[in-house]
Amino acid sequence: METLGLALASLQLLAAFWLVAGKRMHSHISAFRAQAVLLAVNVGALGVREVLATGRPDLLVVCAALVALKVVYIPRKLHRTYAAIEYRIEKDFLANIPTLVLACVALVLLVYAAVSGLGASVSATRALLLVEALSVVLVGVFFLLSRRKAIGQIVGLLVIENGLFATGLYASDGMPFIVDLGILLDLLTAVLVLGVLVLHIDDAFETTDTDRLDGLKG
Amino acid sequence: MRALLHPALAALLALLLSPLPTGLIRKVKALVQKRRGAPLLQLYRDLRKLLRKDPVVSTTSSWVLRAAPAVVFATSLVACSLVPVTVRALPDGVPGDLFLFFFVLALGRFFLVLSGMDAGSSFGGMGSSREALISALVEPAAFTGILAIAAYARSTSFAAALAALNGLGGDPLLPQAGAPTGWAPSALFLLPVFLAFVLVLVAETSRIPVDDPATHLELTMVHEAMILEDSGRHLALLEYGAALKQWALLGLLASLFLPFDPFLGVAGAAGLALSVAFFAAKVLLLSLLVGVLEAATVKLRFFSVPNLAALAFVLALVGFLQYAVTGIGR
Repeated sequence: METLGLALASLQLLAAFWLVAGKRMHSHISAFRAQAVLLAVNVGALGVREVLATGRPDLLVVCAALVALKVVYIPRKLHRTYAAIEYRIEKDFLANIPTLVLACVALVLLVYAAVSGLGASVSATRALLLVEALSVVLVGVFFLLSRRKAIGQIVGLLVIENGLFATGLYASDGMPFIVDLGILLDLLTAVLVLGVLVLHIDDAFETTDTDRLDGLKG
Repeated sequence: MRALLHPALAALLALLLSPLPTGLIRKVKALVQKRRGAPLLQLYRDLRKLLRKDPVVSTTSSWVLRAAPAVVFATSLVACSLVPVTVRALPDGVPGDLFLFFFVLALGRFFLVLSGMDAGSSFGGMGSSREALISALVEPAAFTGILAIAAYARSTSFAAALAALNGLGGDPLLPQAGAPTGWAPSALFLLPVFLAFVLVLVAETSRIPVDDPATHLELTMVHEAMILEDSGRHLALLEYGAALKQWALLGLLASLFLPFDPFLGVAGAAGLALSVAFFAAKVLLLSLLVGVLEAATVKLRFFSVPNLAALAFVLALVGFLQYAVTGIGR
């Protein structure tokens, strides 16, 4: 069980690297979806264990919500939004891909340094799980920062959320049921709003380049 | 004397079976594209035909063009003989070292690159320059991967790596008869390293997405461009060498990362034969995977290859960090 959790966590980090190394929006979305699948499997495995141990199906419900939302609905929504504005988005990154990927490794090293500061207060397994999850968060932040167009930034945001969800899961063996569901609901609203917003930004300004928003500053 | 037994066996196996994965990969690709494709044994027939033909050698070329096929063939064969075929060989000693393995392959590649430039055709030079760039790009990934395995096995020798990744623990030189083999639990952390090595394999064997072995379109070919000047026996040796190199790299993955052997309990010569056959089956299974990968992806633009190389490097490094920094599973 422990080994399975570790393998899933490390695969989530690899999915984050796939995200950064990808060149096109569709590969970003598939990377996000793959990460969500891994997360759902992880939650599902924990959920089955919990049902067997205590009979509480909380985590299984969260797992089902994860699958419905992050594996099915959000990627489809992103694909549709992208299809509407596709012709205006090309090459949306600030540096070349090898540089971005190597910068992300530096972030992972940073997380290793930070987590090693916890010392003996956490077990080695939990420390590694935290490293993987926090690395996903930082890689997501980096991905968000390295995109100019709104739709890429949404994917970055979603990956950060994946990482935070995993961090919560690994740090506390699952957050309270209501918190998990609340987060997922927030995410749904965020994606709906952002999806509409992207189209509106595109309509009003004929581009989704968020740098242009700087011009609004007084 | 017994120590030479295993390399001889590995080399013989490679000589006999190495053209098979190529045929299998081509077949998988053809079937995916709803073609019937060439027969599985096509490469054997090609080699037999080419071996009977005299080479035509350009008068402007030097000894390099004539020596390169032999060097490529020999180095690939040596690489094949280094890859451990079965853990049964451990008590007798498995010679070789992961660094030596990649060094020998690099030597062959060096001569291949030289021979591409030797005849002075512009395609050869172009192919050589690309090959040199690709090999330099994937080298960090390959060596970081080796580093991860070496950190895990506490040694860069094949014997130690084989023993550690097979989870033999205790006394690695004496696998008990009937002892189950399989992944050591801590070896799961090397999963990213395995993926990195798959990318290295793709780049080293000139396969899609890095190079297209089926193309003779001048602008995109890499490996084909370098061997454009060779014919007859020379071409046969180069093709055979490429097949052997592919066998060696597939074998490396099969023996280190798929450490299963259900026949370890069977004693004697029959058991050995079963183990060796099982190894060959693993290699062929991996080549099926490569075929699917090749059918599912498109060739990258040449200037996108660094992206793939960076990803491979990062995979290897993450695998190394997971194991070496936290020290889990020791």
